[in-house]
Amino acid sequence: MLLRLMSGLLAAAMLITGAAALANEKAEPNPANSQYWPPIQKLMFGDREILDGKDVIRVYLSIRADDASTVPVAVKAQIEQKPELFIKTIYLVVERNPSPTAGVFHFGLDSGRAQVETRLRFEDFSHVRAIAETSDGKLWMSSRWVKAAGGCSAPNARNRVPAALLGKMKFKFDDDIKYNEPNLVQLMIRHPNESALAGDFDPTLVPQFVRSVVVTYAGRPVMTAEVDFSLSDNPSFRFYFVPRDKGELRAQVEDTHDNRFVQALQIQEGAPVLADVATAR
Amino acid sequence: MRLLPTTALLAGSLACLQGVNAAALPVVQIAPGDYVHYGQHDQRTPQNLGDNANIGFVVGERCVAVIDTGGSLALGQALRAAIREVTALPICYVILTHVHPDHFFGAAAFRDERPQFVGHANLPAAFAARGKFYVGTLKRDLGPLAEGSDVVAPTLLVKDTLELDLGNRTLSLRAWPPGHTDNDLTAYDSATGTLWASDLLFIDHTPVVDGSITGFLKVLDQLAAVPARQYVAGHGRSSLPWPQVLDRQRRYLELIVKETRQALRDKKTIQEAVDTVGQSEAGNWVNFDLFHRRNVTSAYTELEWED
Repeated sequence: MLLRLMSGLLAAAMLITGAAALANEKAEPNPANSQYWPPIQKLMFGDREILDGKDVIRVYLSIRADDASTVPVAVKAQIEQKPELFIKTIYLVVERNPSPTAGVFHFGLDSGRAQVETRLRFEDFSHVRAIAETSDGKLWMSSRWVKAAGGCSAPNARNRVPAALLGKMKFKFDDDIKYNEPNLVQLMIRHPNESALAGDFDPTLVPQFVRSVVVTYAGRPVMTAEVDFSLSDNPSFRFYFVPRDKGELRAQVEDTHDNRFVQALQIQEGAPVLADVATAR
Repeated sequence: MRLLPTTALLAGSLACLQGVNAAALPVVQIAPGDYVHYGQHDQRTPQNLGDNANIGFVVGERCVAVIDTGGSLALGQALRAAIREVTALPICYVILTHVHPDHFFGAAAFRDERPQFVGHANLPAAFAARGKFYVGTLKRDLGPLAEGSDVVAPTLLVKDTLELDLGNRTLSLRAWPPGHTDNDLTAYDSATGTLWASDLLFIDHTPVVDGSITGFLKVLDQLAAVPARQYVAGHGRSSLPWPQVLDRQRRYLELIVKETRQALRDKKTIQEAVDTVGQSEAGNWVNFDLFHRRNVTSAYTELEWED
């Protein structure tokens, strides 16, 4: 009884200190004042002008990450993909990560929308920036602040990928397939996506992570991504494609061990039929 | 709210743990030869020195087995002092039940007795993956008080089961498939029928899923079959009998699994699931805000692979 009272009091004490801490942290740092961004910007974009991206590209996430090794991040275009103007590339940068460029995503008109949702590791509290390059060569940036730490140096031990499952992929759809409009698809890959940055205690810990993801529909690129270990284990992507007719949705994934994994699916209007066409390793 | 007197009491009683000639950690003999120190449910601070888990020891006729060592060197030293108040027998085994810092960081306090440090066969890999990070966060939280707290590598690994002879007293160790973590060990003292469940059992404190949530439930089914007369949880204490004391935790985990599967069927994103799943349990557990949402992340990333 006394112990219950004590734990209740301690919990209450923690809530009070927690609330005080939150109040202090409410002041989000201004991304323009970040000391980490200028050298990264210089390396990635040289002296090119970067415009305010709020009407072109936005980043969606929860400011306080519950799990620094699995932080859901969505980057969504605010403009439609049109022949006159479309988003070619989205650069996703987590400036405090050991490898700040978390991913470079390429889109086209067959993407329907320049949008990708994935899950990232955060090594420290950081700005996450999305820089969109439009077809006219301009650069646009939006950013958000994320409070998470330890995601790169303390990989979670859960859901370890057995060797037999490495590279196994799944496509998931939210809805029935409809021709001539953007359809949302999720691609998941079984992969440890291991950086081995934490390997001071074990020299046998070897990096093995996904380097590239190429998704095509009916032979045309839908989403192509260059990525690394800033992505969580078992990388997951949600993005759009526009089917005009029956065809094959195909994903090819390569990792740092020179593995090439392929998953393909026949798509047609109506309920998605998840029968494999080709699964090659 | 009269918080100050309580926290002052705790801070006062633990302040004396900081010296090399450590004061003995308070322990309770729950059965002849089974001694337990009950940790506190709050986060690690310089005041509590990582005293956040239940730890203890079992005394045989020949030697002593330590079961978990607390969250810092100071805790390990205080536990050792408590052992010396009870017996002069050598410490032959230090059992590290799993990779979480509140259980293993006191291990260095026992080094010069040269015991076998016992761990699950998966513990070395878990230490390799996380050790550096845990040392860093311990320094961040305890500052200079972290000095000397080490990740001590196990010298004896358990793949399945292992019997430890303490002199007319056998501790039966069991290495479990992924549950709380992927390196959980329990110990059963058959002389008294005492089951040291470590973090396979949480009482009052929000259960933590850092291995596999479906695995955790399967392990609980098997654990319930152990004929325990007394038990020691990893966190918290209760007068409920075994195995009824498992029920509350089982209900919590089953609820997360059920609601996460439903969220996946409803095509909810991981963020949407984390915001909604399991919130009805909020009033039932201490430290819910710190641990629950991460549990849902674990469950979602595990269950989304189900067909």
